[in-house]
Amino acid sequence: SSFKDDLSTSPQQFTPMSPYDLDLPVEATEDVLFTSQFNHPKELPTDFSSVDLSFLPDITQDSKEQNLSEDGHEMQKELVGSISRNEDSGIFMDESSLSYPDATQPSPEASGTCPSLTPITPMTPASSASESSGIVPQLQNIVSTVNLACKLDLKNIALHARNAEYNPKRFAAVIMRIREPRTTALIFSSGKMVCTGAKSEEQSRLAARKYARVVQKLGFPAKFLDFKIQNMVGSCDVRFPIRLEGLVLTHQQFSSYEPELFPGLIYRMVKPRIVLLIFVSGKVVLTGAKERSEIYEAFENIYPILKGFKKTS
Amino acid sequence: FNFFLSLDVLPRVTCPNHPDSILVEDYRAGDMICSECGLVVGDRVIDVGSEWRTFSNDKATKDPSRVGDTQNPLLSDGDLSTMIGKGTGAASFDEFGNSKYQNRRTMSSSDRAMMNAFKEITNMADRINLPRNIVDRTNNLFKQVYEQKSLKGRSNDAIASACLYIACRQEGVPRTFKEICAVSRISKKEIGRCFKLILKALETSVDLITTGDFMSRFCSNLGLPKQVQMAATHIARKAVELDLVPGRSPISVAAAAIYMASQASAEKRTQKEIGDIAGVADVTIRQSYRLIYPRAPDLFPADFKFDTPVDKLPQL
Repeated sequence: SSFKDDLSTSPQQFTPMSPYDLDLPVEATEDVLFTSQFNHPKELPTDFSSVDLSFLPDITQDSKEQNLSEDGHEMQKELVGSISRNEDSGIFMDESSLSYPDATQPSPEASGTCPSLTPITPMTPASSASESSGIVPQLQNIVSTVNLACKLDLKNIALHARNAEYNPKRFAAVIMRIREPRTTALIFSSGKMVCTGAKSEEQSRLAARKYARVVQKLGFPAKFLDFKIQNMVGSCDVRFPIRLEGLVLTHQQFSSYEPELFPGLIYRMVKPRIVLLIFVSGKVVLTGAKERSEIYEAFENIYPILKGFKKTS
Repeated sequence: FNFFLSLDVLPRVTCPNHPDSILVEDYRAGDMICSECGLVVGDRVIDVGSEWRTFSNDKATKDPSRVGDTQNPLLSDGDLSTMIGKGTGAASFDEFGNSKYQNRRTMSSSDRAMMNAFKEITNMADRINLPRNIVDRTNNLFKQVYEQKSLKGRSNDAIASACLYIACRQEGVPRTFKEICAVSRISKKEIGRCFKLILKALETSVDLITTGDFMSRFCSNLGLPKQVQMAATHIARKAVELDLVPGRSPISVAAAAIYMASQASAEKRTQKEIGDIAGVADVTIRQSYRLIYPRAPDLFPADFKFDTPVDKLPQL
């Protein structure tokens, strides 16, 4: 109960611990929903025409917060959120296709080929409706920080907590691990904490709360202030080999390919500020995102470019 | 404006009979001679060459030159300074036997770090026998980076090493990072980091390295004849064209090609020797060799004389 009191004072939306258990299966279904939608790209336009689209412009921005905060109808909102997020990436990509400085987007070939989407999408989709890639990057790692807002005695924590290591000569923080969600936290004496290793935003928040609870149980007045996701890493596979030499020639201002230093091409995208590591095998790693949509948008931006450099063999 | 006009306004000596003819300067006699009629027009022309010739083995005798080193105005703005030489005679020493006016005055305190870096660059280039044009390009790059101040926090030696790497690349004769590491005290990681930062700061880019860039150097270091070198170049190029080695560093592919070519010729080299010269591990050569081995008959040039036939090549 004291835990709840402490957390209720935080500016973040307070959610009791139990719905988080509901969250995880909901999370799973949401992912399934995503992949099932994307497995049939051709059906996407028809799906949209069947759903009532009038609320879409309102939901697109707010859906994220709603999904994370509401504990009642989370299932429903997840559904809406997933559709709107899909549409989200579509709309963002359209904007970016226009404002992307040196993009070699195949806009001429893809203009005006979206029959059912025209009333909704105000800009000509460069590649959204022609073929959305049908591949969704999977999140691999989320790094988040939170302020526990009280000075901590690291030695005390290291002695009494399970799975905690503290080596002040090597690093000035306690390294704590929990098994579910499998994450690692760095807890500093100032009360600030870094949580790494979670596979989704909700899991990262849940894990951070669990660490905060551990610290609280050890007797410190821990709060849960300013939870912020600092970095998100995603990866995916385009399923064809890529000619990196060609890519570095045409996108010189963004790419850096030095086989002596690193076998992958480092592409620094400007419009969502994301760094992509592109490998010859076709595997792509996206990092530097603060939001999930940035990862999706970046991948949708790079996919047509990569298709242009497919190895023909 | 005056500077531009003065070239035409200053009285120029011309031959009275041939005002348009070019005047030839004769240094030995200090004359300016008309090329048309041979009339001596200018007399007692001052020679601006150096007064004494200095040799490096002549350390014992004092350097009689009364002027400083050649100026380097392109790089370290001006180079004008006054130095106080060691004293001769009794008057230059004070009571305790110390020389008065000790310490040849420090020169050009701004850009001392730059001059230091230039010296370091010259030393590094000497160790791997780089020609003067690469050193000049490196100095220019360093000056640009230094003036920009965007990489001010980095060690000057690291910047200098990275500039040397970029200059070699830009001149079309790339050196591997490991080769630059061998003559510099900076780690490969730091040189790589500075390299990327400099490319960003100067907003330039460099061409991608190819296998052929290193063939002549590696082969001559191994003492391989021209035939083997040409065969190795051909093998490496073909291997990349046929995409037998996707994702492998061009250095590793080049090393594997040299291994295959040398093993097929009379001059065989072990993987270890090639690895030492190229700076790749011998397991890396083995890996790349395994990838090109199946297509070996296609990779050799048509006119290659096999000392060991293709099917007898070592299989690792």
